Amino acid sequence: MSDKPEKFIDENGLRLDGRRVDEIRPMKMEIGVLSRADGSCYLEWGKNKVLAAVYGPRELHPRRLQKADSALIRYRYNMAAFSVEDRIRPGPSRRSIEISKVSREAFEPVVLTHLYPGAVIDVFAEVLQADAGTRTAAINAACMALADAGIPMKGLVSACAVGKVDGQLVLDLNKPEDNYGDADIPMAMTSDGEITLVQMDGDVTPEEFKQAIEMCKEGCRQIMELQKETLKNKFTKLEDVEISDDEEEVDVSALVESTLEPSGDDVEGEEESEDKSDDDADQEEEVEDAGEDSVDEPGPESEDDEDEDLDSVESHSDFEAVEMVEDFEESFTDVDEEDATEDEDDEEKA
Amino acid sequence: MGNQVMSVLKKDYIYNLMLKGQRSDGRAFDEIRDIEIRTNVIEKAEGSAWIKMGGTEILVGVKLQVGTPFPDSADQGVIITSMELNPIASPDFEAGPPKENAIEMARVTDRGIRESGAIDLNKLCITEGEEVWMVFIDIHVLNNEGNIQDVSSLGAIAALLTAVVPGEREGRGEDMPMPIRDMPISVTLVDIGGEMMIDPALDEETVCDTRITIVSNQDGSISGMQKSGDGALTEEKLLKAVSLACQKASELREAHLLNI
Amino acid sequence: MEREIVIPGQLLSENKTDSGPGTYVKDGKVYSLLYGVKNAKNKISVIPFSGKYIPSSRDYVIGTVIEVTPSNWIFDIGSPYDGLLHVSEYPRRVEQEKMAEYMGIGSSALLRVKDVSSSMKVELTMRERGLRLLDKGRVIEVTPTKVPRIIGHGGSMVSMLKKETNCEVFVGQNGRIWIKGKDSEMDLLTEAIELIMKHSHTSGLTDRISLFLKGEDEFVSEKDEAVFEEDLTEDTEDESEIREDTYRKVDALLEDDD
Repeated sequence: MSDKPEKFIDENGLRLDGRRVDEIRPMKMEIGVLSRADGSCYLEWGKNKVLAAVYGPRELHPRRLQKADSALIRYRYNMAAFSVEDRIRPGPSRRSIEISKVSREAFEPVVLTHLYPGAVIDVFAEVLQADAGTRTAAINAACMALADAGIPMKGLVSACAVGKVDGQLVLDLNKPEDNYGDADIPMAMTSDGEITLVQMDGDVTPEEFKQAIEMCKEGCRQIMELQKETLKNKFTKLEDVEISDDEEEVDVSALVESTLEPSGDDVEGEEESEDKSDDDADQEEEVEDAGEDSVDEPGPESEDDEDEDLDSVESHSDFEAVEMVEDFEESFTDVDEEDATEDEDDEEKA
Repeated sequence: MGNQVMSVLKKDYIYNLMLKGQRSDGRAFDEIRDIEIRTNVIEKAEGSAWIKMGGTEILVGVKLQVGTPFPDSADQGVIITSMELNPIASPDFEAGPPKENAIEMARVTDRGIRESGAIDLNKLCITEGEEVWMVFIDIHVLNNEGNIQDVSSLGAIAALLTAVVPGEREGRGEDMPMPIRDMPISVTLVDIGGEMMIDPALDEETVCDTRITIVSNQDGSISGMQKSGDGALTEEKLLKAVSLACQKASELREAHLLNI
Repeated sequence: MEREIVIPGQLLSENKTDSGPGTYVKDGKVYSLLYGVKNAKNKISVIPFSGKYIPSSRDYVIGTVIEVTPSNWIFDIGSPYDGLLHVSEYPRRVEQEKMAEYMGIGSSALLRVKDVSSSMKVELTMRERGLRLLDKGRVIEVTPTKVPRIIGHGGSMVSMLKKETNCEVFVGQNGRIWIKGKDSEMDLLTEAIELIMKHSHTSGLTDRISLFLKGEDEFVSEKDEAVFEEDLTEDTEDESEIREDTYRKVDALLEDDD
């Protein structure tokens, strides 16, 4: 381990690693890296290497841990044994338990846990290589993994630290600054600047602290830009931006709606229409859909309350499809119909 | 969700494929999944390897520390292998101290390295009876899509091959490469409906009742073996598994380790 | 473009009446709750790229028995919440001690959600037309948020899949799809469903999958495909201007089908 450097900031105002005092280390991240997890993110920040995964919402055992009206969030910050110079014993330590707790609390204000009563959202952050600022790196990665898992959040959370060396505040501490600096203030913030994590050790004046918040805010803003970019580029990279047929989108929204308010009565009454022949039902939809398309294309937003109807019509289409399947299985008449269309199909081809 | 209960439909599917000589991912019974190895990925470790076999991903880090030797092997270094089935890797893994599966797999990997004499432990002695190098092999499972055992063992040897003994840092002379003499490789087969399949993917591992792991060395000798699961194997099948495992191990060594 | 990728916390509208599913209102403005695609039709909604299935009353699901209790079968329905099928909700009278003979651990079934309580107790039923035990065929799992893509516009995708592969298909809203047919047909269908998942954000998907199943369009390697998609998306911007005759034909057919 290196001894304390004489000076942390040179005459040009540059730090040991060549950064300015208000500059963060280079960061890169990638989402969707683990096949088993519901959401995941790999993040490198300076020499930090962090892997975060989200599992859930999922069933929580034992039952006594369940919260009746919301999901529990569990956050596990864990350092790999080989992530630091001197090997550390695997498993939780007092340090990692504390970090896990405050990091969890950095997310609790933004995650809509009440949508999943009794369930658990597990967030695992593995520090594969540590180089100062691992808890903030883990929070940045965990936020991306949560978004990747489709967890509803009021906004993203970004985190970074401000410290003090040579009597001066610096953004995003490197290892020597962390080891020998006079203060370390890690913070996490939401997109609208609310602070969801703040810790501090060391020695700063109230004025310095105020300035530290401003620096942190700027650091978090930059990180959030990177987070946004990563999320938005995930699909453009695959040339998949063009998002298809409008109708199907509305289908999904009916689903999302049922996700958000698990009452699902928009589907009530579909039973009666079961007797209707499939043809009729589908034609009906066809008309509705055509109507939607024409609304969509010219652009003017109709400000009425039509969408409730649309949703029910659209979820209707889900159900109709399912029902068609049943009919198909149940009666041979339907099979004949299918064959008939197949014949037409061949004719067309010819 | 978890995979504790596998649906009968899925079991039937895998079984029926087996009857046709097929596997769910399209491999032959004796075909190992694609392998990707990146070494020295963790600069802070003395040796490291990130290995991906099919969808299973594992990170192995090697750390060395100065410690005291065991009294009965006063002139030899010490190998300590541990594995964590990290909850990040699967919905079925839970946080907490290693459970029997993790301990079993870590020990099989450890025995393979130890019994093959892969590391020349005498060269890891600093002062006889007083100071030796302790080699910590930490296996971090990142994503479980089956056969953690073989991925770990291959990753461990890859990480060891890149490891440097940090003499300078610890004030114990010069740095030296890890004294590696052999490259033990474990190959696992599962028995599904009477057919042996190599390198089981997750669903195969879940459906099988018997698993056999064979660790073999460069000269074709065998340095470790483990049968696991609540089924049984015939002598004939075991011998067949051993010969296939030795052949595959040598192919793996050729393809993935000799260039490290 | 009306449809764009949005992230949690992104401002979507200054007008709170625009707030639809997947959004929330704060200080009179509408923000996204999810990472997904913005859909601004009447109200603004956000369709997430991924997410767990959350059961809702009247949903059709495919479940697997994970436990048999004295009066209930407990089903894993691919959700944070297991489903309970009370013995009285089985289509026939079943004596309690014989429950496991009818459906044991690992059995799969087509089910419907009867009721979901506020504490997410999920009650299932099999006492409706078409609901039954699945003892043959395969179950494919897809991301539940993409189920509508498998169903397609007015059921067009699913009926095309059935027609082209001769398989029986049942799409559960929990992202499980049951298929039954000849092995080769199921293999092809499985491949088609994987393609739908992989390309779920592209347009003209029903047509392309149809061509794929007819063996007229091999989905080519990722690289070539990107180019192909670019062409395609340009041309399908306006649905009436489909480039190739084949597309038009298939389209006409599908309309007939509906």
